[in-house]
Amino acid sequence: MLQTFASPISSLLDSRAEGHSLPAGLYTRDDVFQADLDVFFRKHWICIGLDCDVPEPGDAMVVDIGNSSLAILRDDDNQIRVVHNVCRHRGSRILNAGSTVISKLVCPYHQWTYELDGELTYAPHMGSDFDKSCKSLRPVNFKSIGGLIYACLSDNPPEDIDLLEQVMTERLAPYDIRNAKVAHQTDVIEDGNWKLTIENNRECYHCSANHPELCVSFVDLDFGFDPEALSPEDLEEAREHEALYAERTKSWEADGFPSAAVEQLVDCATNFRTQRLIIAGAGESQTPDATAASSKLLGSITRKDLGDTHLWGHNSWNHFMGDHAVVSIVIPLSAGKTLVRTKWLVHKDAVEGVDYDLQKLTDVWIATTDQDAELVARAHAGALDSAYLPGPYSRFSETTLDKFATWYIDRMRANGY
Amino acid sequence: MDTNAMQTSLAPQRAEFWDIERDDTLVCIDVHQETHDVKSFTFASPQGKHFAFQAGQYFLFDFAIGADTESRCYSISSSPQRTNAFTVTVKRVANGRVSNWLHDSMAVGTAVKAQGPLGHFVRPNTAGKFLLLSGGSGITPVMSILRDFGDTCRPADIVFMHAARSPRDFIFRKELLNLAARMKTVRLHFLPEVVAGEPSWSGLTGRISPEFMKLAVPDLAERTVMCCGPAPFMAAARAIAADLGVPPSSYIEESFDAAVIDEDKVAAPAAPVAKVYQVEFSKQARKIEVADEQTILSCAKKAGVRIPSSCANGVCGTCKSKLVSGSVDMKHNGGIRQREIDAGMFLPCCSKPLSDLVIER
Repeated sequence: MLQTFASPISSLLDSRAEGHSLPAGLYTRDDVFQADLDVFFRKHWICIGLDCDVPEPGDAMVVDIGNSSLAILRDDDNQIRVVHNVCRHRGSRILNAGSTVISKLVCPYHQWTYELDGELTYAPHMGSDFDKSCKSLRPVNFKSIGGLIYACLSDNPPEDIDLLEQVMTERLAPYDIRNAKVAHQTDVIEDGNWKLTIENNRECYHCSANHPELCVSFVDLDFGFDPEALSPEDLEEAREHEALYAERTKSWEADGFPSAAVEQLVDCATNFRTQRLIIAGAGESQTPDATAASSKLLGSITRKDLGDTHLWGHNSWNHFMGDHAVVSIVIPLSAGKTLVRTKWLVHKDAVEGVDYDLQKLTDVWIATTDQDAELVARAHAGALDSAYLPGPYSRFSETTLDKFATWYIDRMRANGY
Repeated sequence: MDTNAMQTSLAPQRAEFWDIERDDTLVCIDVHQETHDVKSFTFASPQGKHFAFQAGQYFLFDFAIGADTESRCYSISSSPQRTNAFTVTVKRVANGRVSNWLHDSMAVGTAVKAQGPLGHFVRPNTAGKFLLLSGGSGITPVMSILRDFGDTCRPADIVFMHAARSPRDFIFRKELLNLAARMKTVRLHFLPEVVAGEPSWSGLTGRISPEFMKLAVPDLAERTVMCCGPAPFMAAARAIAADLGVPPSSYIEESFDAAVIDEDKVAAPAAPVAKVYQVEFSKQARKIEVADEQTILSCAKKAGVRIPSSCANGVCGTCKSKLVSGSVDMKHNGGIRQREIDAGMFLPCCSKPLSDLVIER
């Protein structure tokens, strides 16, 4: 009998072995990359930016995702808007990529002029009978969840964003990320597939050998370990940490700060995980000495011992701490290139050099992001090698990778591949 | 019969005349619907004073609307031969604060403040041939001129050409037909842009063009042209007339069309004494003169200074430029943000100079 497949990618999806990394083609092939863009960056919710990327009326920031270009704006009523950056005349890009200040959206080509809510108000030389009312800029589905802007380019956005919204709205409220300030931003282009970028972020198996700076404050044990791989001493420490974690979670929750892990990783459309993690050492922040980098704490927070609320999505990772937050957004550029955009947030009134030291604020994650870029490039180079065979994930420290790969295959199939 | 009294009322022995220096109050004595969106308002002096004006002049009104006083100029449409009252004719403008107020609230008995007669859009005192050319509500001053000819039985070779959106928008249509039938040397041309509302319209349609002018007024070059209408109409008319050989000295246009046609703009003062400022464009190493009543963009364009632009109305912000020194009076429509203004930017399309300027362009 002749075997038929829904798409040329189907056989690759079928060949994925449980518990193993993905077949090489899923990381390297251009047709898979186009399918990924369609499935994971058009039909699912993605994190594209922050309310505080556009703090004032007239601020605009353009984010390009594949062939789509999205403009995040703040209008004169102080409302966030997200519109397609495509003129309704002949489709020209209106704004350049990046941040700008605008009074109206004016297409540079023929000066079609739109209000910040997208309404077309001026279209020269189109005649008095031209109906401008049906030529507004096309809006994009989006939600601001605790100040993080999630967009979905599909007309039928997955509804299970609800759990993420419900959980994170409560958890992020005290940090008031909506009114924070972007103190620093870096764009790092990794030479690797976006899924390798995400996989690398979902395990801390690699941390102790590769991220000395991060390991001062980050506890890699939180993401699993094989008890037999640890020395008796380390095992004792691990058990103590587990006990401390249970105790700390209980105490944080008693103080009104939700902390326990919430996961929606498989059998779902919207993929996320959050948990309040203990910060090691001085216990305050992900800085070189684990003490706070900003003396002005975020939002309404009054204490520095609230740990690190981490949040993963399928195109972002975040760490919310008392004094600052680090938000990373992953934007695939090609099968083998991925943009990692990292933003460091502080209280909007915090003054550089007075309330915070920029170097102390950014040192750990600049180093970590560079190290991760190197690791992802190595992984991708290996996946391109004809000798590559999918390897087994650790059942102790890489269970979330297995879940991610499983979710990936399921979502591809659910979308016809 | 008291003939004495009758004579007094029709022809005062010692006619008292409205004094432009002293008198400022008028009272509305008639409101007349001319077309679906045009009304005529007739005003008299409460003291019964007479008005001495020339056909083509206008009055400057101060209307008390709500808490504000809005000033507008309206051309007189009535004949100067009728001196006990004069009439202005106003088209309702979408969102026009004053025109809508006039249409909705001005009634017989309403008193208004006014100054006039003002303006220099008057017929040269020659016996030549004329083209009275108007677009839309720009008909008012040339209607006054035509009525003056009719009332004085002065022989004159006149072509009266009126363009409007559609036949139902022709103001004074019946009266013009009557006047043309009676005045032996008047030829009338109506030019609707579209025939909407009157499918049986038998004439040509469209906008004024050199072809149309050549057909309708073959001796155009010999005529004195008096033109009033919206700015684009006047610009087109001016270009066509020049092309067809009308010397500039024979071309007269109403210069405050903004006040007549577009209520969004404030009327120019009656007799402006223009201050002229030096405006330097630093990158192009050009220096031009701009009068305080002109926009910087329009003068720059005329002088060939290059500034990207589109709306000319402070909406799109395309002409946004850095003002290195000097100050301007800017009336924008949202095309620039306060933050940008604070950073030294401005829109030349809607800014008039208040001092000498240096602009980074």
